[in-house]
Amino acid sequence: MKTRLAKYYPLIPVYGAYLVMFFIGKNMSGMWQLMAMLAFYCALGQAFNIFLGMTGYVDFGYVAFLGVGTYGMALGITRLAHVEGIGLSVIVIGLALAVLMATLLSIAVGAVALRLRGAYFAIATIGVNEGFRYLIEGAKIWNGSEGMIFNAQMNQIFGREVASAISTFWADVLVLIIAAAAAFVTLVYMRSKIGYALTALREDEDAAKVMGINVTKYKIIAFITSAVFAALLGAAAWALKTPYVFPPEVFEIHYTVEAIIIVLLGGAGTLLGPVVGGLIYGVSKYWLAIIIPGFQLLIFAPIIILIIVLFPEGIVGMLRKKLRSRPEGAFIL
Amino acid sequence: MTLLKLENVTKRFGGLTAVNAVSMEVQAGELIAIVGPNGAGKTTLFNIVSGVFFPDEGRVIFDGRDISRLPPYKRAPLGLGRTFQIPRPFGSATVRENIAIGAMFGSQGKKLSVRQSLEMADLYIDMVGLQPHKEKAAGGLTPIEKKLMEIARALAMKPKLLLMDEAMAGMNPKDIDEMVGFLMRIKTEEKIAIVAMVEHIMRAVAGLAERVMVMHQGAKLVDAPTTDALSDPRVVEVYLGGPPRRSRKQRERRDTLEETES
Repeated sequence: MKTRLAKYYPLIPVYGAYLVMFFIGKNMSGMWQLMAMLAFYCALGQAFNIFLGMTGYVDFGYVAFLGVGTYGMALGITRLAHVEGIGLSVIVIGLALAVLMATLLSIAVGAVALRLRGAYFAIATIGVNEGFRYLIEGAKIWNGSEGMIFNAQMNQIFGREVASAISTFWADVLVLIIAAAAAFVTLVYMRSKIGYALTALREDEDAAKVMGINVTKYKIIAFITSAVFAALLGAAAWALKTPYVFPPEVFEIHYTVEAIIIVLLGGAGTLLGPVVGGLIYGVSKYWLAIIIPGFQLLIFAPIIILIIVLFPEGIVGMLRKKLRSRPEGAFIL
Repeated sequence: MTLLKLENVTKRFGGLTAVNAVSMEVQAGELIAIVGPNGAGKTTLFNIVSGVFFPDEGRVIFDGRDISRLPPYKRAPLGLGRTFQIPRPFGSATVRENIAIGAMFGSQGKKLSVRQSLEMADLYIDMVGLQPHKEKAAGGLTPIEKKLMEIARALAMKPKLLLMDEAMAGMNPKDIDEMVGFLMRIKTEEKIAIVAMVEHIMRAVAGLAERVMVMHQGAKLVDAPTTDALSDPRVVEVYLGGPPRRSRKQRERRDTLEETES
């Protein structure tokens, strides 16, 4: 029994961090929005890590999955607002739509782009993100470049008070839950054949193939999983929290870059890494913007370079190496 | 029983014919060495058998099945394992995990759980004597340790046929003798056929193989029992050059050239 539970010890620091964030936000006045932002970055890292960290492939179009997730929720709410008594189940439908759309998009993109390697994959995915954005704008899909604003529909479905509670509180709680679920799935993958196959293909794809690993299959598994969590995150953190969606905002490559930084700072392919990376990134971005507004990126860049140079495997990657033989090592993965 | 059969296998890279109409057979449980100088097409032949390249002409038949066009990841579960010329460990994973990956996706992979694979890895770690490095990242091993780890990883795949690419390059004579002894042992213990590719180390070939195939410029030159093959004049020529008369002629020609110059 003890050994069976020991498998899940590495989740303790991850979930501990999320609980601490929740209680700080809940009990200290004025901290909720900061904690919500940190939770978003942690969740973003946690979701992206399943693909970037575990396969070593860099997807520059990752934000597209957050984008379609946002659209999924927006479509659910706007199209079903007139249904009498739909209430909170519209959120479930919206999340399901987000998952469905991200799955379809990731299969379509993955089937083509995952045949490419390294930089070629990265370039192809930039194209996907931009292409998808201009497709929506140009072909006037889902209102095109006008986007969707669904404040009114939220109020109509939930009533004014519940709608406001959703966007100021429950959406953020949902983000934390998504982050926790992504961490759980990461751990399950790491401990299963999927994780071993991904490690092998990340280190040496050709050798992995000769060893009997169907690399395309495992890459696509990681890609879809990561995309689904991104879509859920988009639905919660973008659609429910701010009830509007505009193509230029949800397909903004800036978020992909942030996600990459978070994963690399914390430690690609580690379980705790995205939490550490998300917290460091979120906190420094927030404080630097207060202390030296306008120059935050100028200070931030050298900090990132310093961390990457000092800890090439990320902070958690380095910690894990140091603690491998110690008992505390069981909690860090 | 014929385990592997190559029928007129040809592979071209643009104008270069790397492997030219090579046919060969490997019986179950046999130990064969493929030798030949640099550029003879040995590695290309290995890559064709393991599926990295598909042949332009000819067929590869493994265990009675035509695998000429089968992707590499489908060949490994049939019982085809290989090691690489330059070891290719999964660097960030530990030695134990590396070997377990072999077990997980090898010929018995479908039946093994992750835990069983890790337990099986321990057996092969003992076999190659890497216990002290078990939990080390494989990227940090010495070259010889990496080779041993790669062999253990390939053996954990439970292959019927093991292709060893330059297993002994860069080793000193003592290590070579140990490796030869080790290969002979695993051949009988694990009941697998081994095709070992050797470039120059005849010491290993003589001690190891029952049969030798010599390749030269992409084609099969000699395929015979070891002692016959190594004393074959054509093999000597490939390795040491032609008879001395030609070189004397060249020397004379150079002398005349020098005379006219002065």
